[in-house]
Amino acid sequence: MAALSFSDGDPTVRTLLRRVLETADSRTPMRRRSTRINAQRRRSQTPYSNRQGSQTQTSARKQSHGARSVGRSTRVQGRGRLEEQTPRTLLRNILLTAPESSTVMPDPVVKPAQVPEVARSSRRESSRGSLELHLPELEPPSTLAPGLTAPGKRKQKLRLSVFQQEVNQGLPLSQEPRRSRSADVSSLASSFNLTFVLPGQPETVERPGLARRRPIRQLVNAGALLQDLEDNSLDSALPGDSHRIPVAALPMDVGLEDTQPFSQSLAAFSLSGKHSLPSPSRPGVEDVERVVGPPSSGTRLQSRMSRTGSAASPFPFLEPQPQPAEPREAVGSNEAAEPKDQEGPSGSEETSAGPANGELSSSTRDSLPAAQPPPSPGVAVLPSEPLKSVTAKCPSRTQTAGPRRRQDPHKAGLSPYVKFFSFCTKMPVEKKALEIVEKCLDKYFQHLCNDLEVFAAHAGRKTVKPEDLVLLMRRQGLVTDQVSQHVLVERYLPLEYRQQLIPCAFSGNSVFPAQ
Amino acid sequence: MAPSTTATRRVKRKAPRAFLKRFLKQKKPHLGLGRCCDLLIHLNCLLFVQRLAAESRTNACESKSRVIKKDHILAAAKVILKKSRG
Repeated sequence: MAALSFSDGDPTVRTLLRRVLETADSRTPMRRRSTRINAQRRRSQTPYSNRQGSQTQTSARKQSHGARSVGRSTRVQGRGRLEEQTPRTLLRNILLTAPESSTVMPDPVVKPAQVPEVARSSRRESSRGSLELHLPELEPPSTLAPGLTAPGKRKQKLRLSVFQQEVNQGLPLSQEPRRSRSADVSSLASSFNLTFVLPGQPETVERPGLARRRPIRQLVNAGALLQDLEDNSLDSALPGDSHRIPVAALPMDVGLEDTQPFSQSLAAFSLSGKHSLPSPSRPGVEDVERVVGPPSSGTRLQSRMSRTGSAASPFPFLEPQPQPAEPREAVGSNEAAEPKDQEGPSGSEETSAGPANGELSSSTRDSLPAAQPPPSPGVAVLPSEPLKSVTAKCPSRTQTAGPRRRQDPHKAGLSPYVKFFSFCTKMPVEKKALEIVEKCLDKYFQHLCNDLEVFAAHAGRKTVKPEDLVLLMRRQGLVTDQVSQHVLVERYLPLEYRQQLIPCAFSGNSVFPAQ
Repeated sequence: MAPSTTATRRVKRKAPRAFLKRFLKQKKPHLGLGRCCDLLIHLNCLLFVQRLAAESRTNACESKSRVIKKDHILAAAKVILKKSRG
């Protein structure tokens, strides 16, 4: 070991080195290394120092130089050590010297803390100055704030229907306060919005209202539409009134139905009537009018339920008669109108039913347990006139409610497609043009139904199956050998519908939907 | 997916299944609707509306108007209804 010999030759340098190394800690990280490791290194490095010292040419200078050179040499040795050292030791040294506090760790802790603080502060602000409406809106953002990944998870897990319900609850509230509040919550609001811009798009604000009203409307619409069909066939203005009143009073029917003793019979009649609905319209009209007649007495509102029944005899019509005493005082003028109308049914346009009505009216008037006249012609057109009287009483309600409700469900059903049209065009569309779109959609739907019927009949079936739809799309040119229906489904429908339509294999050797 | 995610106005994505079923029942009461058929009908309608919109837009652009007018749609409807007769 030449180094050893060298070191033996210059013990002063070695001692110098040792002293320097032990004392001068701050120069390089290498200082902190244990001295015992340095021993070997020093021996190997003394040649460096010796060479450097010899270059200075004097021992004293050597020493002084040595001191400096030691500094240099230590640095060189440090660098030399760097070269010799392993990465692990390097890192260890860096860690020892590097500042202990790191900027990386606390940040994620800080950020979520900041966001709830922002939410809290905004909440305080809003609670002071704004309405209570703002508070429920803040709750979703505050729940969003702590778990920033939660919305992401929510996106995947929520089903379409549940999601949209939640959004509907959240959106109407959120839209109002958003406008009024400052930009403080804008970040939260934007994050709030972001979570809801998803394939399952939320619906308009009106949806909650519509959803609540719909059950009642359905009861109305079927009858109203049927009446319209009959009315149109008869081309009379009177039935226009006739259906208005039933329409107006139907919601009451729902409530009163339970209280009336004849509700069961009427329900039975109504069921039978509905089956015979596609049959002649006239009995239907007469039923309508007959049914409306009793309601004019005020208490027989639910009898309108049997409006569709042709088989429904005047029995329900007659039944109220035994109890007219009670309502007579109450309804008074209605009753007065009713006998009048019964006597003068000729004013109605159902001339064929006129004489029969006359018979009926006389029979009803005279005897309570009147024989049931033939149902189909026997139905009195009377209701048309009592209807008039009733309409005179509450014209505003019925006249506005009737036509709006008649068109509303059909238009409401088509409106999403019309909106989709105006969205697809990416250009402003005239209002009149949208009506044409509606007509086009109507025609298209009719074509669709006809085609589906033909296809199903061709396959000897009475229900429409997805295969019929696929065949239709193929004939339209949407589905080709290159483009399958699954591709179209994937492109245009949201996930929940896709899952139902496209068969997919699941665990347990099962396929959903089942083939 | 369809380019509705960037729209400022949110487009309804829910299929009016009840409406479609009711419509079919009214027009063809003897006909029944199978499983998930109304979703496919909805898809059909969407595609129809898209084609109609594209055609009307073409017509409007040809006549160099920035707004879609009745006659544009009428002309488009004639073509598209004929195409989708099946």
